[in-house]
Amino acid sequence: MRALPSHTVFDRGSGDPAMTLLHTAFDALLLLSMIVLAWQGVHARNMFRAVVSFMMFGLLTAVAWVRLEAPDIALAEAALGAGLTGALLLATLGRLEGDVSIERASRRAVRIPLPWAALGLVGATSLLAVALALPAPGLGGRVQEAMPAAGIDAPVTAVLLNFRSWDTLLEIAVMLLAVIALWSLGRDVLASPSRLPAPALPALVRLLFPLFILSTFYLLWRGGYGPGGAFPAGALLAAGLVLALLAGARVPKRVTGAPLRWALAAGLLAFLVVALAVMAESGVFFAYPEDYAPLLIAVVEIAAGLSIGVMLTALFLGGEPVSGDPVGGDPVGGDR
Amino acid sequence: MTAFYLGSAVFLLANVAIALLRVLRGPTAADRMLSGELMGTTAVALLLLLYGATGVEALLDVALVFALLAAMAVITFVRRTWPEDPAADSEKEDP
Repeated sequence: MRALPSHTVFDRGSGDPAMTLLHTAFDALLLLSMIVLAWQGVHARNMFRAVVSFMMFGLLTAVAWVRLEAPDIALAEAALGAGLTGALLLATLGRLEGDVSIERASRRAVRIPLPWAALGLVGATSLLAVALALPAPGLGGRVQEAMPAAGIDAPVTAVLLNFRSWDTLLEIAVMLLAVIALWSLGRDVLASPSRLPAPALPALVRLLFPLFILSTFYLLWRGGYGPGGAFPAGALLAAGLVLALLAGARVPKRVTGAPLRWALAAGLLAFLVVALAVMAESGVFFAYPEDYAPLLIAVVEIAAGLSIGVMLTALFLGGEPVSGDPVGGDPVGGDR
Repeated sequence: MTAFYLGSAVFLLANVAIALLRVLRGPTAADRMLSGELMGTTAVALLLLLYGATGVEALLDVALVFALLAAMAVITFVRRTWPEDPAADSEKEDP
């Protein structure tokens, strides 16, 4: 069983003034950059500037989670927030009419009336007071108590796939719904021509793609012991697939249609089958019998990870790929 | 040694903060994108330095994910977002 991270890991210099100064300087710089980037992401009139700011904000958020001793969340933020969301936003910008430096219609500064500002201040202060009044470890203690029965060593994975499986099940269902909604809007948009020829890209992707697959399975395996698990693994898989699509790969004819749909639904189906099967055994939805818990969690995790990867790629596609259609736009290296 | 790692991390973070100016001022989309890429590369180094300072092994995994995904944004940019006419991309009236 893994102990909760001790609070001496990021000990603030243990009295050494030079170390304390370094820690403070790091946190202050991080905080300042994040505030500037957040402001830019919301208020920049230039859309491209807003998107780049948002991507950089995601990177710094991951570093901030590391500083807060939450490497699990840092991993998910790195994979989803910094990597895939940025690519999605950039691709969306490219689809918009006109130039990427498209300006927003209104340039009037937002004026907040004084009463609202005062109310906001009061609200923020009470939130802070509540946050400070909360007991320090949150639910960590209760998770630690229940860990022996979890059937897995990593506390975060145990929470995601055992103690609170309901939440994870619904998260995956929401992602699937998003894909269905998007696909019902129209066909895939990746058929839009590539902007620049990139003759070296296929070679790079051929080099990188196996690494993406390897890291996907590494993170899935790692999820059993520490930070890792289905969500970051799925995001890495999706990143690899999206890179391949950007390099001009096509969705093979034999996967479009039924196989692709099964892959999209696999995570949710595996989750539901496991939940109902253990319900037949124990009478409670998602109450894993202790002997089979490790196996069941592994099955659900692998299915969910692969399915999340395919779903994120499907979101990037923006529509159901039509059988046999070139998906990556023009052949690699071709002109626009 | 911890002080050295942390000091380097602070230096790199300051570097990134200065690079933010390029995001603010542009003038072209490519300038902004490159500044973002600098940030991606720096984040890998930052995480490795923090690993050196703390010994938390999970940071290596986060750095691995960052390193793999660093290419993602710029490739999407080049293939999907590149302005039709880079010269017309500069901002004129942005404060």
